[in-house]
Amino acid sequence: MVDSKKHWKAWLYLSPAIILLLVFTVWPIFNTLRMAFLNDYGNMAAIGGQTFGFGIQNFIKVIEYKEFLQCLQNTALLCVATVPISTVLALLIAVALNSIKPLQKTLQTIFFLPYVTNSIAIGMVFAAMFNIVGLKQGSHMADTWGIINNVIQFFGGEPINWINAGSSYVANMAVMIIYIVWNALPFKILILLGGLQSINKQYYDAAKVDGTPKRRVLTRITIPLLSPMLAYVIITGFIGGFKEYSSIIGIFGEKMGPADDAGRLNTMVGFVYDALERDRQGRASAAALILFAIILIVTLINNKVIKKRVHY
Amino acid sequence: MSKNNSNTVMQERDIQKITAGQLISRILSKSFTYIFLLIMALIVLFPFYWMIISSLKTLAEYRQAIPTFWPRQLMFVNYVDAFTTANLGDLFLNTLYVGVVSTLLSLVITVLSAFAFARLEFKGKETLFGMLLATMMIPGELFTITNYITVNRLGWMHTFTALIVPFLVSVFYIYLLRQNFMQIPNELYLAAKVDGTSDIKYLWKVMIPLSLPTLISITILKMMGAWNSYIWPKLVANDDAHQMITNGLRNAFTDTSGQANYPVQMAAVAIVSAPLFLVFLCLRKYIMSGVSRSGIKG
Amino acid sequence: MKVVLENLTKIFPSRDKKSQNQVVAVSDFSFEIPDGQLVGLLGPSGCGKSTTLYMISGLQKPTSGKIYFGDDDVTELSTENRGIGLVFQNYALYPHMTVQQNIMFPLQNLTGKDKLSKQQMLDRAHEAAKLVQIDELMDRKPSELSGGQQQRVAIARALVKMPRVLLLDEPLSNLDARLRLQTREEIRRIQKETGITTVFVTHDQEEAMSISDIIVVMKLGVVQQIGKPQSVYDDPANLFVAKFLGTPPINVLEGKVLDGKVYIGDQAVMSVSGVEDMDVYIGIRPEGIEPAPDGVFECKLNNVEVMGRDASVVSTHTAALSPVIRAIISSDIHVDTASETVKYNIKPHKFFLFSKETEERIYFEVK
Repeated sequence: MVDSKKHWKAWLYLSPAIILLLVFTVWPIFNTLRMAFLNDYGNMAAIGGQTFGFGIQNFIKVIEYKEFLQCLQNTALLCVATVPISTVLALLIAVALNSIKPLQKTLQTIFFLPYVTNSIAIGMVFAAMFNIVGLKQGSHMADTWGIINNVIQFFGGEPINWINAGSSYVANMAVMIIYIVWNALPFKILILLGGLQSINKQYYDAAKVDGTPKRRVLTRITIPLLSPMLAYVIITGFIGGFKEYSSIIGIFGEKMGPADDAGRLNTMVGFVYDALERDRQGRASAAALILFAIILIVTLINNKVIKKRVHY
Repeated sequence: MSKNNSNTVMQERDIQKITAGQLISRILSKSFTYIFLLIMALIVLFPFYWMIISSLKTLAEYRQAIPTFWPRQLMFVNYVDAFTTANLGDLFLNTLYVGVVSTLLSLVITVLSAFAFARLEFKGKETLFGMLLATMMIPGELFTITNYITVNRLGWMHTFTALIVPFLVSVFYIYLLRQNFMQIPNELYLAAKVDGTSDIKYLWKVMIPLSLPTLISITILKMMGAWNSYIWPKLVANDDAHQMITNGLRNAFTDTSGQANYPVQMAAVAIVSAPLFLVFLCLRKYIMSGVSRSGIKG
Repeated sequence: MKVVLENLTKIFPSRDKKSQNQVVAVSDFSFEIPDGQLVGLLGPSGCGKSTTLYMISGLQKPTSGKIYFGDDDVTELSTENRGIGLVFQNYALYPHMTVQQNIMFPLQNLTGKDKLSKQQMLDRAHEAAKLVQIDELMDRKPSELSGGQQQRVAIARALVKMPRVLLLDEPLSNLDARLRLQTREEIRRIQKETGITTVFVTHDQEEAMSISDIIVVMKLGVVQQIGKPQSVYDDPANLFVAKFLGTPPINVLEGKVLDGKVYIGDQAVMSVSGVEDMDVYIGIRPEGIEPAPDGVFECKLNNVEVMGRDASVVSTHTAALSPVIRAIISSDIHVDTASETVKYNIKPHKFFLFSKETEERIYFEVK
């Protein structure tokens, strides 16, 4: 009697969560799968009474899209570039932070600041820093070259057209990489510093007694002992990287590219939303599933590689 | 193993020289560490600095070929312009409304579910919890597609409901709070039962006060989520009456590379960024501990 | 290599910045450790023994005083330049490296003319492993070893670079009782074989007594007594040392000296000369009292515990500071357990007097 009453209570407490999860989490899993395999499925068309054949047309169409391949390439390039750079930088900063006493708390706070920003808002600041104002088409004249180019010129370099009309793909990607790394640092530093602080100090005393040089302490002791945290930031870095979207909106706006080449920097997630907004839910679902599969595979590979090298 | 191999080696060395070398290398490595950290800190801070000084310049000064590193004339009027141009007042209110309502509802749902999972016994508890955790592995984009259709069919397009309801349940927050609840000794609950305290009263008087830090972390992360949300609002409620702050900001300054009035734009960005900064400076501890446990935002 | 400590002092600033309470961890410690000896630093926790060890290692800097290795002043030398081996209390073996990698690690740090070839390193590592008898375990990870084996790996790692001085911090505290006995013999053997001057820290007097050439008894940062274990035991400098050494512990009673006689209560238990009349603490080793019909010291008899070879006579006396007075005797000696009281004879060389005021030893001659 008491038991069944308790059961009833538990389900009562859980009911809001369960109802919402059924509608907005469980149903989407099935429905997205279903739509992915209904050829050319569109919501408006479905409301209009149209029926759709079962098949893998959506996947074929997605893969055949040149746009999609561009999105895939952009996403993959951004991942491959930003994850190692930000991880190494974060590791160096965390190790350096861990080795100092005065200013440690202050610097730690400063390094966390990019986390508490709106990635679109600060993207607009980065855009302003790289932006050239008043560039005359074809000529080499402009009102102001932007602060980054000013710095380059100060060191005797040539200004680069980073994001304006006529800019190169490489320059665009460089800006994106810088911005994404800047944005990804705080989380990684936080995790790695936490990991460093939990390493037993005696290992370092032992290394000191043996006269171990600093670099060897880093490679032979710190990094192996930190490997679980490193694995964690690398895997979450890749997952986040494959879902890159709003940082590009921040810098390039919804055109997802320089003024003369919209969509050049579009990503996988961007592709999904574009298809969604154009009422091509079947195609969007197929693309989302491909993204999911890629993330799954990359995570599994990461896990495999890491497992061999991680000491738990 | 012989004992005297290295004694002799040592005596030959000039101890003074070694001590001096030690000192130099220690100073060198400390200064190298500080220089590295300070340079990195400058790089991290530079965009914020540039945002603030740019927001205070006149358009003419901003467009000078040789940049100035401190505005010649502090143009606070840019902030007024920004506020009106981007209609920031309404955007603030919209975002605040969505943030507060969804945080409150979300907290209630999370607390009730975490309590059921942590304290009550019922059939299939472990299985259900396992299934919930499994959904965390699936990227959000998969849900978004169907949820877009669902919201559409429910007639929620261009309403606050569409912005609030689909994200009320976070499996991760339930998980976090359940862990916290489980650390509270069960004896307290049993004692409360013996005294005839109701579940709700027990939750309110014991569990919630004891897990306040986690609840604060959840609140902050949820509010930050509302403040930073962009994609979903853009899909379902991008009209003037329901626009969220990030969307409004981006929409107000679509011109990324032309002749835009950058000082005003930077002022708008500064206004939008300021609340997050203030919250961070006040509640640093909760944010950092919440983030290090959550791992959101790669 | 002899190690000389000269007026070594370590003061830790107080944790609370406002108060001026500094902690004097080690106070004015001077001592010359002869070459090739095994020295035990002994004392209860907080006595400064570990701080002393860490100052010798160079991981902590003394507030004042000097440390010499041989004739070299190493006080300002950082730890890596001192050529010491240090075994940590919980070993600090690198968990991600195998036993062999752990032992070889110090050798791989050598540079310049000390640099070794890969083969030389392997040979040295194997030599060290053999010495501590773990050469069969070279490919294991520390987590796959027992506590005693980890201990040996830690010693091998400290020995492999042929240190001038070997330091061990509570080397046996993480081992169970049986392993502790075995390992302490092992440490003794290794130290004798290598002849390396060795200093170890322990709070366990039995451990220190059993293997040290010299023990240093410390209390609250101050050295109480230095000497060979047996002579410190037989001739304690003060009440603290007398109480700290020996199991079962020494029997301590309140008493007084009056007209050349030592009284416990109203019983005169010993005639002494060369001592003024005064209140004293009396220390009698358990093996220093023996039941006898004509004994001079009468106590209330509780019971007799027979433990094979020995027996322990447990009695009480109102002047005793401890709950019971214990006498260790051969189990052959018969004690009438039906009796209410027991009379003891006292062996004069197991009988010590300490000033009640200073707790320092008072020397006397037996009349």
